[in-house]
Amino acid sequence: MTAWYDSNIILIQSTFVGLLTALSLQVPIRFGVFSFAGVGCYGVGAYTTAIIVIRLGWPAPLAMGAGMLLAAVTGYLLALVLSRLGGLYLGMATIAFDLIVTVVVANGGELTGGPSGLFGAISDVGTVHVALTSLVVVVLLALSERGRFGRRVEAVREDPELAAAMGVEVRYYRQLAFVISALLGACAGGFNVLLRTTIAPTDIGFSLVTLALTMIIVGGSRSWAGAFIGAVIFTWLPSVLEFSGQFQKVIYGVIVALAAIWVPGGLIGVVTDAYRSWQRSRRAAGPGDAGPDDGDRRTASPRAEGTPA
Amino acid sequence: MTGEPMTGNRASGAPLLQVRDAAVHFGGVKAVDGLSIELTEGKIFGILGPNGSGKSTLLAAITRFVELTAGALLLDGEEYHTLPAARVARRGVARTFQTVRLLPGLTVEENIRLGADRAGGRGGADGVREAIERTGLNGLERHRPGELSYGVQRRVEIARAIVARPRLLLLDEPTAGMNQSERQEVSALMRELQKEGLTQLIVEHDVQMMVDTCDHLFAMNFGKLIAQGDPAGVVREPAVREAYLGKRWSQHV
Repeated sequence: MTAWYDSNIILIQSTFVGLLTALSLQVPIRFGVFSFAGVGCYGVGAYTTAIIVIRLGWPAPLAMGAGMLLAAVTGYLLALVLSRLGGLYLGMATIAFDLIVTVVVANGGELTGGPSGLFGAISDVGTVHVALTSLVVVVLLALSERGRFGRRVEAVREDPELAAAMGVEVRYYRQLAFVISALLGACAGGFNVLLRTTIAPTDIGFSLVTLALTMIIVGGSRSWAGAFIGAVIFTWLPSVLEFSGQFQKVIYGVIVALAAIWVPGGLIGVVTDAYRSWQRSRRAAGPGDAGPDDGDRRTASPRAEGTPA
Repeated sequence: MTGEPMTGNRASGAPLLQVRDAAVHFGGVKAVDGLSIELTEGKIFGILGPNGSGKSTLLAAITRFVELTAGALLLDGEEYHTLPAARVARRGVARTFQTVRLLPGLTVEENIRLGADRAGGRGGADGVREAIERTGLNGLERHRPGELSYGVQRRVEIARAIVARPRLLLLDEPTAGMNQSERQEVSALMRELQKEGLTQLIVEHDVQMMVDTCDHLFAMNFGKLIAQGDPAGVVREPAVREAYLGKRWSQHV
């Protein structure tokens, strides 16, 4: 076990960073906000953490906290600026934001290290820290998928007008989606730079958007569990597909296309559908439970006695 | 609901809702055109009118889903036509929609709970149970909307609207897609809710049901009010018959 862990430590750490990155796109999608700004915030978090650790020598947690705070403010400002956009237009605008971050850090001179990036962000941060943080994040997100808040998020995504009729301030929920996405992205970026000690503009470009999106399309975008499944698959798949050499990207493309066509809810959607179908069949077999169209049940209800004049 | 009556604090004498000279224009189309109505507390009001007469637009304007082009809306004598829809909902104005709008991923019970959330916990577990029982949805709590007939889905919408104990309930064609016994049940439920003090405004095409259920009817055509008053009297008005049947046929009925 220890030998396995030692030889796969990079992949294990990358799985958690991948999970946090995927969640930074999954959360806004769950809120009905088609935003990829989480990846840009990954860059903001990574560079801020690296700059503070390398240039100011602050402890890693403080540097990461500062990166997350800056990203959260950026996310909130983005939410205000892009409040009138939705759907594909919002997606395009947030990808533009990601690319702007890439361009800014590539041209940031000595501060950001230019095209070659920054080196030497050394800290004590290890697998335990990223694993525990991921666990806390997942628990919080799992809780947010339930209860009153979960129902409201569902309403904001599925039918914003209905949500408003239920007294939900849709605007605030959308802003919250941007801020949570920014925090998760910056957290992922911060951990990545502290675990790898380096960051470069090529690490935060369009390819990261594609990777994170691939994870949640294949895993499932409606739940944290989808992002987790996707993160595991796409972090470990390259080592499994080593034999395919230059055709690896083709195989990726085929997997994504098949997932989008055959399992639009992602792999977690397959599990959920199977569970619901089992629930339905159990209800149908249950004793004394009338079906939804059962006229007898309805006319036998106490209220039917008091029909109006 | 046998709990607290659904009334609130307000200036004595002022109607619960006032719509003053309201107009909603979409470009050249005058969906609502200078209409004024008042809803006194604890009564059931109905709006009759042919398709396209502006009934649903009026409901959408009252709940702030569409902007007024002109006019004013007052709740408890206080203007509210600049507030967002969610704030109006939190002030106790609940509505159902012309087409069923349930969340497909949630169960019947969760859909109803969504309505209870609005009241900040007022319609807790007991409220949800009560709303389920009053709308005859017992045994269907764990079903998802897609597994239910249209009429049952309508009842889920009504349960979701009443669970938060609103002060004003707006029902847009609440019995569309229901059979006769279901319609009678909904009508009986409205009467029950009225006894508890809930003011209701209903848009419905079933004239007989409106006459049986409502205390006061408004008749609309081309965005204007063409008649109002006692339900039996309103449906006998020549202008109302003409709006529904056309001039020639209305003279033969």
